[in-house]
Amino acid sequence: MDKRFFNLFNLTEDEAIALLDTPQDQLNEDDSRYVAASHLINFPTERSINALMRAVQNTDPSLDNRIARRKSVETLGRLQATQSLPVLHACLADPDCYTVENAVWAIAEIGTQDSAILEDIAQLLDRPGQTYRVIIHTLAKLNYHPALERIRKLVDDADAPTASAAIATVCRLTGDYSQMEQVVALLQHPNVFARRLSIQDLIDTQYYSAIPNIARCPVSLVFRLRGIRMLAEAGVPTGAIAFETVQPYLEQTLRDHPGDLDLVHAYNQAPDLPFLIRELYETDFGRCYLATKTILEHHADAAPAALFATYAEEANNDYGAHFHVMKLFGWLKHAPAYDLLVEALHNRQPQFQKSRAAAAIALSELGDPRAIPELKASLETKIWDLKYAALMALEKVGDTSGYQTAANDDDWLIRAKASRDVINRVSTP
Amino acid sequence: MKSVVTTVIAAADAAGRFPSSSDLESVQGSIQRAAARLEAAEKLASNLDNVAKEAYDACIKKYSYLNNAGEANSSDTFKSKCARDIKHYLRLIQYSLVVGGTGPLDEWGIAGQREVYRALGLPTAPYVEALGFARNRGCAPRDMSAQALVEYNSLLDYAINSLS
Repeated sequence: MDKRFFNLFNLTEDEAIALLDTPQDQLNEDDSRYVAASHLINFPTERSINALMRAVQNTDPSLDNRIARRKSVETLGRLQATQSLPVLHACLADPDCYTVENAVWAIAEIGTQDSAILEDIAQLLDRPGQTYRVIIHTLAKLNYHPALERIRKLVDDADAPTASAAIATVCRLTGDYSQMEQVVALLQHPNVFARRLSIQDLIDTQYYSAIPNIARCPVSLVFRLRGIRMLAEAGVPTGAIAFETVQPYLEQTLRDHPGDLDLVHAYNQAPDLPFLIRELYETDFGRCYLATKTILEHHADAAPAALFATYAEEANNDYGAHFHVMKLFGWLKHAPAYDLLVEALHNRQPQFQKSRAAAAIALSELGDPRAIPELKASLETKIWDLKYAALMALEKVGDTSGYQTAANDDDWLIRAKASRDVINRVSTP
Repeated sequence: MKSVVTTVIAAADAAGRFPSSSDLESVQGSIQRAAARLEAAEKLASNLDNVAKEAYDACIKKYSYLNNAGEANSSDTFKSKCARDIKHYLRLIQYSLVVGGTGPLDEWGIAGQREVYRALGLPTAPYVEALGFARNRGCAPRDMSAQALVEYNSLLDYAINSLS
């Protein structure tokens, strides 16, 4: 679990518990019980768990209490607080659909084989207005076969992510994977959530043959990398799939050129450069990749000035556009961006983390040998995708001296990459 | 795109019937509130950047320790996360005002987003805090008429409720 964002609010355990226990009408204007409930994730203690359970049992229907209560449910799940199962079970009958959703999810995190709880979860499939995906995932994770036929009814659901989860779960529970290509097809769905969430279903079913399709899916590389990595982690140790099979798709994804993606959007008419620059700020990365591709094909000459301008104005503080600006400077092989790319490579602010690997790849496109020590320094970080991208970048600029160290890295993917490439070099005359 | 009108027609069509009188009442209600919604949509659109900036500035002010040098996760985490995503949610709220239903928020902002936040361990508190500020900050008649503010605030509440 990525814990970069867990400690956003500067509260002690005592302060967070006291805040969560404060009646809503006695709170100061600036206090938030929601924040307290979020923050208790940092304290896996009996006291915190009891405070969270008290908060879940407070059923005041005001919006502020509702959201604090829901967050408490989620945090109990994250803390895997088994003793909270009866409290969470009671939440399954709550009128608030999001409280129910969080309770179902939290029960899955904690894990149970209590058939009364599992049957109550399965019956939620008949309740209108619920998020069925989390219910289906939980029933699959807890292997509740009696729900199979009820889940099967949802395989043609009009909501694509629901259908995706249902198809994947029916495959898991029956062992018949013949329908999984329908889930693979959702990687090209016009709705960004259908694309992102189908990757989760492919992970859950360990559907290794979809790795090439995931690599070409037009969503943020965060989702693609997570999918490919989790599939590799499941399949390589068991021998179901070899690292060598995964490697080209993993590296294609880390490189992340828009030409290697099957884009789902298209322009009716050729847009101008200012429009394309604005598209880099979109939250659907499929649109950003289309803009990037179009900039490269039609505006390569004018693009660098526009990119510097948008960086100075806004992209320096927008983690999405920041990423695409770094990538574009690389694809444009724009040497004057060197300093900016080195700065991005070493940027430690967590929200800009994906720009670091992007900067590594972009620096290798520039081919400036000054980048070699900068890239080698990246091999010392704890961030696997940055290290992997740095190895790829160093390879491209002709420096393979980092492989010996990388072959002993803590991360198995880095070790696999380094070892394999060392072998290749030795065996190549 | 789901709205009161499309929901009513879809339900009637699914049952092979004409819209009932209560269906027509809900359409009528939606149409009556349309002027207020469009006023709110127009005011929000013309002031989107300021509303988003104020919302996240308020968060930074509220959690002032985040501005201290060397604090864990640094203030910029919070700030840029809010700046980008708050604007996205406000845009979806604006679309929802135009549509007269929560379709744009549901389809583009909420369905699936909760799963993504959970799977990636991303914090929802910054959005909730910032949208909460935007809700408390709105003022009639300074920013818009009282009816328009009711429409705007109800969608902010809807977004806060469904993201948290």
